[in-house]
Amino acid sequence: MAQQTNIGELLSMLDSSKLGVRDDITTVFKENLNSDRGPMLVNTLVDYYLETNSQPVLHILTTLQEPHDKHLLDKINEHVGKATTRLSILSLLGHVIRLQPSWKHKLSQAPLLPSLLKCLKTDTDVVVLTTGVLVLITMLPMIPQSGKQHLHDFFDIFGRLSSWCLKKPGHVTEIYLVHLHASVYALFHRLYGMYPCNFVSFLRSHYSMKENLETFEEVVRPMMEHVRIHPELVTGSKDHELDPRRWKRLETHDVVIECAKISLDPTEASYEDGYSVSHQISAHFPHRSADVTASPYVDTQNSYGSTTSTPYSTSRLTFNTPGQLPQNLSSPSTRLLTEPPQATLWSPSMVCGMTTPPTSPGNVPPDLSHSYSKVFGTTGRKGTPLGTPATSPPPAPLCHSDDYVHISAPQASTTPHKREERTDSTRPCPHRQQHRPNDRGLEESHSSKGSVTLSDLPGFLGDLASEEDSVEKDKEEAAISKELSEITTTEAEPPVVPRGGFDSPFYRDSLPGSQRKTHSAASGAQSATVNPETLNSSLDKLGPDTPKQAFTPIDLPCGGVDESPVGTRECQTSLEMNILTPSPYKIPPQRGVRFGSGQPPPYDHLFEVALPKTAYQFVSKKTEELFKKAKGNTEEDYVPSTSPMEVLDRLIQQGADAHTKELNKLSLPSKSVDWTHFGGSPPSDEIHTLRNQLLLLHNQLLYERFKRQQHALRNRRLLRKVICAAALEEHNAAMKDQLKLQEKDIQIWKVSLQKEQARYNQLQEQHDTVVTQLHSQIRQLQHDREEFYNQSQELQTKLEDCRNMIAELRIELKKANNKVCHTELLLSQVSQKLSNSESVQQQMEFLNRQLLVLGEVNELYLEQLQNKHADTTKEVEMMKAAYRKELEKNRNHVLQQNQRLDTSQKRILELESHLAKKDHLFLEQKKYLEDVKLQAREQLKAAESRYEAQKRITQMFELEILDLYGRLEKDGFLKKLEEEKTEAAEAAEERLDCCNDGCSDSILGHNEEIYGHNGETKIPRPGSTRGSSGSRGGGGSSSSSEISTPEKPPNPRAGPFSLRWETTMGEPSTSIPMTVGSLPSSKSFLGMKARELFRNKSESQCDEDGMTISSLSETLKTELGKDSCVEAKTPLNLDGPHPSPPNPDSVGQLHIMDYNETHHEHS
Amino acid sequence: MTEDSQRNFRSVYYEKVGFRGVEEKKSLEILLKDDRLDTEKLCTFSQRFPLPSMYRTLVWKVLLGILPPHHESHIQVMTYRREQYSDLLHALQVVRFVSDARPQVEVYLRMYQLESGKLPRSPSFPLEPEDRVFLAIAKAMEEMVEDSADCYWMIRSFVNQLKKKYRDSLPQLPKAFEQYLNLEDSRLLSHLKTCSALPLLPYDLWFRRCFAGCLPESSLQRVWDKVVSGSCKILVFVAVEILLTFKIKVMALNSAEKITEFLENIPQDSSDAIVSKAIDLWHKHCGTPVHSA
Repeated sequence: MAQQTNIGELLSMLDSSKLGVRDDITTVFKENLNSDRGPMLVNTLVDYYLETNSQPVLHILTTLQEPHDKHLLDKINEHVGKATTRLSILSLLGHVIRLQPSWKHKLSQAPLLPSLLKCLKTDTDVVVLTTGVLVLITMLPMIPQSGKQHLHDFFDIFGRLSSWCLKKPGHVTEIYLVHLHASVYALFHRLYGMYPCNFVSFLRSHYSMKENLETFEEVVRPMMEHVRIHPELVTGSKDHELDPRRWKRLETHDVVIECAKISLDPTEASYEDGYSVSHQISAHFPHRSADVTASPYVDTQNSYGSTTSTPYSTSRLTFNTPGQLPQNLSSPSTRLLTEPPQATLWSPSMVCGMTTPPTSPGNVPPDLSHSYSKVFGTTGRKGTPLGTPATSPPPAPLCHSDDYVHISAPQASTTPHKREERTDSTRPCPHRQQHRPNDRGLEESHSSKGSVTLSDLPGFLGDLASEEDSVEKDKEEAAISKELSEITTTEAEPPVVPRGGFDSPFYRDSLPGSQRKTHSAASGAQSATVNPETLNSSLDKLGPDTPKQAFTPIDLPCGGVDESPVGTRECQTSLEMNILTPSPYKIPPQRGVRFGSGQPPPYDHLFEVALPKTAYQFVSKKTEELFKKAKGNTEEDYVPSTSPMEVLDRLIQQGADAHTKELNKLSLPSKSVDWTHFGGSPPSDEIHTLRNQLLLLHNQLLYERFKRQQHALRNRRLLRKVICAAALEEHNAAMKDQLKLQEKDIQIWKVSLQKEQARYNQLQEQHDTVVTQLHSQIRQLQHDREEFYNQSQELQTKLEDCRNMIAELRIELKKANNKVCHTELLLSQVSQKLSNSESVQQQMEFLNRQLLVLGEVNELYLEQLQNKHADTTKEVEMMKAAYRKELEKNRNHVLQQNQRLDTSQKRILELESHLAKKDHLFLEQKKYLEDVKLQAREQLKAAESRYEAQKRITQMFELEILDLYGRLEKDGFLKKLEEEKTEAAEAAEERLDCCNDGCSDSILGHNEEIYGHNGETKIPRPGSTRGSSGSRGGGGSSSSSEISTPEKPPNPRAGPFSLRWETTMGEPSTSIPMTVGSLPSSKSFLGMKARELFRNKSESQCDEDGMTISSLSETLKTELGKDSCVEAKTPLNLDGPHPSPPNPDSVGQLHIMDYNETHHEHS
Repeated sequence: MTEDSQRNFRSVYYEKVGFRGVEEKKSLEILLKDDRLDTEKLCTFSQRFPLPSMYRTLVWKVLLGILPPHHESHIQVMTYRREQYSDLLHALQVVRFVSDARPQVEVYLRMYQLESGKLPRSPSFPLEPEDRVFLAIAKAMEEMVEDSADCYWMIRSFVNQLKKKYRDSLPQLPKAFEQYLNLEDSRLLSHLKTCSALPLLPYDLWFRRCFAGCLPESSLQRVWDKVVSGSCKILVFVAVEILLTFKIKVMALNSAEKITEFLENIPQDSSDAIVSKAIDLWHKHCGTPVHSA
């Protein structure tokens, strides 16, 4: 709560008169808003604004940032629903939207939009409707793509309101309708500009109905005359124009300009290059030639704006000569036939302008007045009470004249006359009155210009800047006006002025003729908002102006005005001068008044409502002249302060407030008198009406300003483009310069190239001469060389000849040498032969001598021999012979010995080899043996395994058998026992016949004993049962090898038993008992012994050869003597059979006889 | 030298290029031509190369000691063996321990039990675990060998070899398995450890039954070649290779029981590849056996 009260205080402080406090509070609020995200503060502010219309609050609300937009919109939405606050909230919304907040795109999603549309569809208050429509129009370009779902709502609204314009439901004042009409017109433009296809189809469907036909004829059709065919109608489609892509690349101002482009209405229209270039070229020249006079404004523009257009202007000057008159006259007449009423309206004045000699300004006024009268006539005719907007602008003449005055005033002395005359003709207005406003207007125009520029330069705030600007403006204006004056003096310029028609046609036409002036004032206010912008634009685009002008012929009267600075300025001044309406130019002084007088701010809102009304009334009725004068004085008293644009509208309201005050002071009757003029409505109503009207005007103004801002935005962009273009042009120029420089360079290079070529040619020639010289030298030298070559050839042939000669000579030399050698050889041979023959001769001599000596010696020896005899020769011969013989003998002996040695050695060798062979054989044998052994072992192993298997099998069989026995025994052991006993008794009886009973008894006991021992060796019962004495045999068989057991059935055994008995009876030491003993089980003591003995022989043999048992026993018997144990056995064996048959009592001996028993004992 | 002259001089080259077994049959024939067969050489051969199927039975018989190394005594020894077989069979039939209706495998088992003296008193006595091992091996062997006497003898010798020769090394195999698996794929081993499936692996199937019933006979033969020729380590590598081959599936399984169940019933289609890889692995880790061994 504390906070709320705090806010309340703050809010009240917000409206304090101290600037500092206000700023502080504003910053406090803004900080609060930045920190707080809740809706509370915004709601409070909105409420407070609705209560007080406080400007600072409005400022805060319009600059709300992102998070609060929702609250604001919600709040606005809430208030839109309420009828009481609807109007003010709509104006607030208008304020907010016009500033184009950053969150404008959210508008389409906000619930506000549908409720606004609903309100527009249902509300019946014209003021609300107009305000709402203006808000909607402002909003549309911001939300082009998202607004499409409401498209039909827009269209419906348009349909409803347009019908309103005609039908005037209920008690609606006509003045309101004018406003409404204007806003509907704007809506028409917007809708047609943005959604042409959809809109046209809507129009088609909506106005095809009969009940709407009248509305169409009266309202919509005139509107349609102000638009050109939208290109989208040709190229686009319903869907395409709703396509978001189309809108994406367009900003808000783009959309606005797009809409303006299709308009033919001067207030709305906008022409830009690219849009109508094709028209320019086609339209420019024909018109120029055909009706130069019809577009005099163009000429002025041309001469004023650009140098390029001067030829035309000059030509036009020439055209303006009387000689050209018929032609000029004829062209308007043709135009009269073809063109809309507007054109016809203006044609007279043009004609007038043409008819008047251009050089004489004195003639102008009458012409102008004439034209004006004509205009009035036409407007009077045209201006139907219904007020179609298509009609020509009546107030134009007024502005016209004033403009003219204004322009010419500084220089031409004739202008005042003109103006006066005109004003006289048009209005019965006192001279002085007119003068004063004029003067004032002049002054104010300067200041206003300053303010205008300021408004466009947001960075500037202070007065200083504005002053500077104003100075500059003055200068500019001076230059402009100078030119203008030149034109006006030289040329009959009146047609320039004509288009005071920049005013929107609605105002003029809707009002009765008497009120027209007031309307013009209103429209002037409206246009004033446009003016600064247009002025700027025109200043910015001096170049492009001409093409635009070329386009004007169609809507000549109006088109040029908005765009030409001259026109606008004229308008402004005219407005100010003629009507003391709250035009923006007047406001600065007024504000000064207000501030100076220190009027309390709380009145502001009252003023705002009241003020326009009075101004309006004053202008229309001209009853408040005195007051106005006073005001004018006050205005003059104060130096016009340069104020920002945003203050302007506030000033309208506040300045007008003074009027209200004054009005209130006036006596009621006088007021009533005046007001009854409107149709007798009561004064209070009238005040209300006027207030609303003011409000409407304000709204309209704001809307127009919004448009202006959009234009400004666009202009800035275009300016940038121009600058860019200029830069590019400069760049181009620079490039061209460079190009030129380079060309120069190239030429220089070319010259130098030629020089070089010349030098090169020279050098080439020199070179050629040198070459030819050298060639001749070469030739000479070659010639020389050839000569030398020939000489050398000759010499060589000579040399060859010489060589040949030498060779021949050498051969001859060789031959000679050979001959010499040969002869030498022969010589030496001959000499040798000679020496040989000499030596042979000497030898011959020597030999002869020797022969002689020997002969003598021989003779001597013969003598000696004869002297001695041969006595010893016999002995020697004998000895020699003996020796020889002996030698022979020995030699033979040695030979013999040698031979023997040889043979023996051979023998030894032989034997040794033999030995080696034997050894090898041995080894092989051994190996073989080993092999065989291995083989045998393997076989043996197999056999052994087989044996093992057999053993296992036997064991199994035994087991099986024993098992079977066991079973049998179990069945009838006792019975058998008894049977046995009886049998035994019988047997005993039988046996007693042949032997004693003890035997059987012993056998029996033996049986029993064996049975008791029965572990491995079970005595086969059948044996024991059958033969009482067969027990021994049975026991033997049981202990014998496995093979023997199955092979000895009881039957054969019976035989042996009987045999045994016989043998025991007959021969005590037979082999049969021995066989029994000789086949013991391997485990028995005897068996082991026997195995030791029989190791040499294979066991298998032992096992298998059951038949050879006897023979084995024989061999055993032979060897018994060696072994002591066998010795001990043999007596047993011998004893066994012996005592048993004869001594039946010797059971103990029998006992001993059992090998198994002994074995058991041993083990 | 005589052997080498008979062999193709390209044989070394064949092996280098990767054609195995081109010359193996021939070299085996040369080996088998010797009178007094060299069992060591046969062992080495069968460890290095797969045996040609036509000689497999002969080589196995020789290696298992069913036939002596001398060709001369082959016939005689074989008659002994056959007689022994028929005797055993006869004995069992006599005591009505077996009948024609019983499967041949069981007959072999009874015969073996009879021979080793472990024949139970009644055929209905429950089977010992080692009897089950015998049955598995016998079943596999029955597929490989046609003649029943041969079959019996080979089963008997094979089982005896397992019992005697490998008595000490068989219990070591699980450890070796773990070691080699760690070398080949430690991640798999750790997975098995985390699942605690390691002690539950079918070691009995793998090492005691020598994969009988786990691998199809055609593949099993090649494994048993190595086992018969004296290396039981091959079993470890076959086991490792099985795990490596089915690694993805084993990794996907998380419980020890499932892993064991899966390993006990591995798909048979890839067994040939498994065995080939296992032999390669074995050669890689244990080296190719050389003649000197």
